[in-house]
Parts: sequence; C-alpha cells; structure tokens
Amino acid sequence: MSEDTEAVDVIVVGAGLAGIACAYRLALAGRSVVLVERGTTAGSKNVSGGRLYTYALEAVEPGLTRAAPFERAVVREQIVMMDDDRSMTVSLAGPPAAAGDLPASVTVLRSRFDAWFADRAEAAGVMLATGIRVDSLLIEDGRVVGIMAGGEEMRAGVVVAADGVNSFLAREAGLVGELSAHAVGIGVKEVIALDAATIEDRFGVGPGEGAATLMLGCTAGVHGGAFLYTNSGSVSLGIVVSPDQMTASGTTTHGMLQALKAHPALRPLIAGGTTLEYAAHLVREDGWRGVPKRLARGGFLVTGEAAGFVLNLGYTVRGMDLALVSGVAAAEAIVAGGDLETAYRAALDRSGLPATMRAADGYADLMGIERLYRTYPGLVLDVVQSMFTVDARAPRPLRTQVRAAMRANHVPLRAVLRDGLVGVRSI
Amino acid sequence: MCFKWVAAEGELRVDPATRAVDASSARRKISDYDRNTIEAARVAAGSIGSELVGLTFGGPDARTGIKDALARGVDRAVHVVADEGARADGHVTAHVLAAQVRRLEDVDLVLCTEGASDTYAHETGPRLGELLGWPVVTNVRELTVEGRTLRAVRVLGADLETVECDLPALVTVVPEVAPAPIPGLRSVLGAAKKPSEQVPVADLGLPAGAVTARTTVTSFLGYVAARRRVVLADGAAQDKVDALVAGLAQDGVLR
Ligand SMILES: Cc1cc2nc3c(=O)[nH]c(=O)nc-3n(C[C@H](O)[C@H](O)[C@H](O)COP(=O)(O)OP(=O)(O)OC[C@H]3O[C@@H](n4cnc5c(N)ncnc54)[C@H](O)[C@@H]3O)c2cc1C
Repeated sequence: MSEDTEAVDVIVVGAGLAGIACAYRLALAGRSVVLVERGTTAGSKNVSGGRLYTYALEAVEPGLTRAAPFERAVVREQIVMMDDDRSMTVSLAGPPAAAGDLPASVTVLRSRFDAWFADRAEAAGVMLATGIRVDSLLIEDGRVVGIMAGGEEMRAGVVVAADGVNSFLAREAGLVGELSAHAVGIGVKEVIALDAATIEDRFGVGPGEGAATLMLGCTAGVHGGAFLYTNSGSVSLGIVVSPDQMTASGTTTHGMLQALKAHPALRPLIAGGTTLEYAAHLVREDGWRGVPKRLARGGFLVTGEAAGFVLNLGYTVRGMDLALVSGVAAAEAIVAGGDLETAYRAALDRSGLPATMRAADGYADLMGIERLYRTYPGLVLDVVQSMFTVDARAPRPLRTQVRAAMRANHVPLRAVLRDGLVGVRSI
Repeated sequence: MCFKWVAAEGELRVDPATRAVDASSARRKISDYDRNTIEAARVAAGSIGSELVGLTFGGPDARTGIKDALARGVDRAVHVVADEGARADGHVTAHVLAAQVRRLEDVDLVLCTEGASDTYAHETGPRLGELLGWPVVTNVRELTVEGRTLRAVRVLGADLETVECDLPALVTVVPEVAPAPIPGLRSVLGAAKKPSEQVPVADLGLPAGAVTARTTVTSFLGYVAARRRVVLADGAAQDKVDALVAGLAQDGVLR
C-alpha cells in the first residue's frame, strides 16, 4: 500500500447526499478525501421518497441539476384527504415552465442518483471505499484523529460524520444523546413499476414530468401521512408515522401501506404495477429543536441528517436538500480552517439552512395536532360531501352542514378554534 | 485468474405464473466462488513472487466488478468488453479468454473456478486449457507451485488425489480452495490505484467462428422445488421428533 492513504486531510463517513456533497467539494478544493460507505454501492442503503429541491444541487455546483440522472420534474402537486373509503384531491399544476428553466424540484431514486453522484465525486479525486463500515472514532487527547473500520485504523485531519439519521459517530463524539421516539418517524416505502405512458396518463403529466402527492387521513389516526412520487418507470409510495403511537393504533406501518394500496383513491393509480423494492427507514421529525447545540469538536464535525438537518413539513419531507447544503457548508468550514464550530456555523448561515429550519419550527406544533390525522380529514370529507349532495329537500345552509359534521365527528368548536390558532401561529 | 460478473441469484425474480426469470433488476456481483479463486490465486502468486492478473469477459457493466477484484487482491485487471447484446457461450468465452491470455506475456498459471454461480457449466476452464494447449487439472482444493512444477490436490467425491504437472498449466478450483475474506478499508482504497485495462473484443482479432455462440438458450425458467408439505402436528413432542427423524432418514437426509 502506498503511503498517501496512510493519512488524509479528511475522512467523510457515509456516502449519502451530505457525505458525497462534502467530499466532492473538498476534492474540488484540492483536499485529499476518503469517503467511506458501508453499503456495497453508494445509495444501496438509502431510502427516500425521492423529491429533491434543485436549488441544493445548484449550491453544490452550478449546472449540476442538468447533469443529474433525475426521474421526473415535478409539475403537479396534489394533496389527498382521505378516510377509510372516501377521498378528496386538491391538485395544483403551475403555469408551464419556460423552456430552459430549471425545475424547482425533481424526483430521484437514490440507488441510481447516489451512485451517479459518488461517481462524479470519484472523478474529482475523492477516494471512495464502499462495503466498509466505520466502527468507531479514533480519539487522542480530546481530539478526533481518525476512524476504525474492520480492525483497521485510518487517520485524518478532520472526520466528518455524514452517517445519516441516528448517527452513532455523533453520539460517540459526545455531540448528541440517544434519539427519543418522539424525535423520529418511521418510514416505509415501496417502489412500484409502471410504464412511462401509464404514469403520464394517470397523473396527467407529460413526458419527463411528474406529480408529487401527499395523503392525509390514511394512517389509522397515527401522527403521519403518506406520499406518492412519480419516477420515470415507477412510482414511490410510502408512509411516515410516529413510532410511539403505533402500538396503540393496533396496526403496523406495513399494514397501513397495504391498506393504502387497496384504497379506492389509490388503487387505480397503481393498478397493474409490480413492487420492485420495499424498504423501511427512520426520519427525524423534531426540526431545528433536534439540531445539537454543538456541531463540531476538535477534528470532527457532523452534517446532513446525522446533525438533525431535516424538515418534516407534512406536505413534504426535506432531508435531501438540507443534506446537500449542509455537506457543502461542512466542506467550506474545513477549507476555511480555524475553529471548526465557528467556521461551520458561519458557512451554514451563509447557506440559509438555519433560517429555513427556524422558520419551520412551529410546524412541529401544527403536526402535533392529533385531529389532523383522522378527525379533520373525515370532517372535511363530510362537509364537502354534503355540499355536493342534492336531493328533493331544501339545501341546508353551509354553516349548519359544518356544525352537523363537527357534531358527527365529535369535534367541539373550541377545539377547532384552538387548533386553528396553533396552525396560524405555526406557519 | 478468470472471474465472471453475474446477476445476484437472490435478486432474480420469477414470475409465479409463467416461471419466467427476470434478471433486469438484480444487482451484479463477482460470482461467489470466484472470490475464493481470487484469494487462492493471490496466495499462489505471492508464493512465487508473480503478478496476479484478473481477467474477465463481460458487458460494459462488468467494469464495476474490476474494482472489487482489485480490492480482493488482484494486482492488475483486464476486462475484455463484450459487444452490447452479443451472445456468448462456453465456446466464445474460452476463445476470448485464450486470446487475451496469449496477449499477456509469460503466463505460468491460469486459475478458473469449477463453475460460475449463474450458469455452473463447468466448461470454461477445460476449454481454455485445451485452446492454450496446456495441461488441465480440475476439481482442485489445494495447490502449490515449486519451480516449474504445480502440485494440486483434487477432490474425487470422498477421496483426494494429488497430481503434478509442468507449468504453464490451467487449474480449475472448488470453493474450498481458500476462504474469501471481505476486503478491508486499505484494500478497497488501494484498488483505485491499481492498473486496469479495457479491451474491446474486436481488438483480439478473433475469427468470426470463434466469437459466434454455438449453443442458444431457448428458455430460462425458475425451478420450483416440489415441496412435500408434511406437517407433524399430532402427538406428544417425543412422537413428533421420532416421526421427523424417521422421515428425514427415509429421504436420505439423515444416515
Ligand atoms: C420514507 C422516507 C421518505 C423520505 N422522503 C424524502 C423526500 O421525498 N425528500 C427529501 O428531501 N427527503 C426525504 N427523506 C429524508 C431523506 O431521505 C434524508 O433526510 C436524507 O437522505 C439524509 O441524507 P444524509 O446524506 O444525511 O444521510 P443518508 O442519505 O441517510 O446517508 C447516510 C449514509 O451513511 C452510511 N452509513 C451510516 N453509518 C455508517 C457507518 N458506520 N459506516 C459507513 N457508512 C455508514 C449509510 O449507509 C448511508 O449511505 C425521506 C426519508 C424517509 C425515511
């Protein structure tokens, strides 16, 4: 073995989007970087619904979106409120994008996307080692000086933990404690094969275009929701729910997903499709409150979801874009030198990430409203259904219908007002 | 040594109705047994201070396998790139590998695995040895090289046979020939620094007859083992255990 891999400038642990972005930018800045990933390929262990906001790719490198192997550009946003057998869909399609405009968000399949991104990083000089699990940090005199993997030791000036949700490296470094059940949601996802023409037909989109659909009221009352994203030749269908309420619900995430697939609103969308893969993964739900007080210590910093940089906004999970921009900020901090924590905070502030996360801070309160997951979808469906019901009788005023629906759903007016206030305050 | 880039068996999909096998979504890997062969070859090359060249013939995607082979101990890799969509059988593969082996200089020993984990045809090694005009020793589980002599222990059912021959020689090995350790951090990083070369089949200058498959796969169906579906539910635990043992003995599973 040659000498030059004996000690490198930086070791990045985890080839997810945060890790690859960080390693890539460090390599472009001329640093020697080793990127270590436990999966046999980058992306093989990564589970995402798969909507990526492209501003973050452009922050890694201008023009990257165009070069990236994304699935479809999202041109249609849909929200579906459902109960056991009814549904109401709100579908928003924007004005047609001007030719040459970058799509604001795209769908991706991580196995393909991450592998491409890691290839690009390798071409820029990153030394990628896949199939290697990092077991622990090497700490000397209070400073992180390297890693241990499979009994082998490797030293670096800085170790970056980009090992995703529930980062044991950040725990070992003493930056975070154990994750609590309230801090995470559990996500399950299926990729279902459908041919491109069928997808375009069923979702009302053109070639290369796609839809992003959020579903509420399909989680047996448990805090959470479902998503459906269109890929080139498949759709990604998944559910994210709070694990701490699952036992009380009497069902499992898998059971919920299967029930959702059989729902009249969804069945026709995925009819004839075959399931290609099934995966489960945790996702942080505590927003800015879950970000540790310190993000760095001597020779070490934490980035991406390992640092809690993910937003669950109900209508969308933003983890991939925050992973990318935080990975870039980590690289900038290392290049800047000096005190890592200070440099990292400054780079993050420049990226706008903390401001974005703080602005969404109240969402946790909004998402904490229990009635959002069963009662309100049912209530809305009742009201709308009675609005559309026409028979020989004189129609009742809307407010009477609403009150009747509230009574039927056991929601007192003051509860609605209180929830409404929380909702308004949080957004 | 020769290795093959194959679809992961565990990820093949069998259509329950037609039994048609779909390998399109299966990930690719170095054939499992070839990993043992790489290790045996690494040890053999090390023992005589020779360079170990890993040789593979496969489509463009086999490139990914090169890195894995280098991490596992191959010093240099040569990938003969098959034309997209071209069919290859044992005849074609052996001709291609033989042509590439001849292009390498001073080859003393070629190791192949007894069979690949996808086709398990047992023919590439012997055919290759014949084309090269070298002695062929099959079913080898132990090998040593001393001077210009190869000594190999062959497995014959429950017996072992020791064979000697002159180099150059071709040996096909069984998986027990060596363990297949998972490469560590340094080996994986080191792989990126080792040389590898891609050679289009056309560059080998083989006649059309040598690169035209002689056999055609006409169907590829999943094999569903007929299960006996015997449930031993009645009686006390001891009776059930006795019935299980008797049943297994009857089927020759227990002796
Ligand atoms: C069901 C679901 C749907 C989601 N949908 C979306 C979405 O639509 N849009 C969005 O933006 N976000 C979404 N997210 C969130 C998003 O996937 C994550 O926030 C994002 O992937 C985090 O990126 P990361 O690079 O920080 O970590 P990851 O992508 O998780 O990467 C971490 C990497 O580190 C590796 N690793 C971990 N430990 C070790 C170790 N010890 N040694 C070596 N390697 C290690 C892992 O194998 C992995 O490759 C979703 C999440 C889930 C669970």
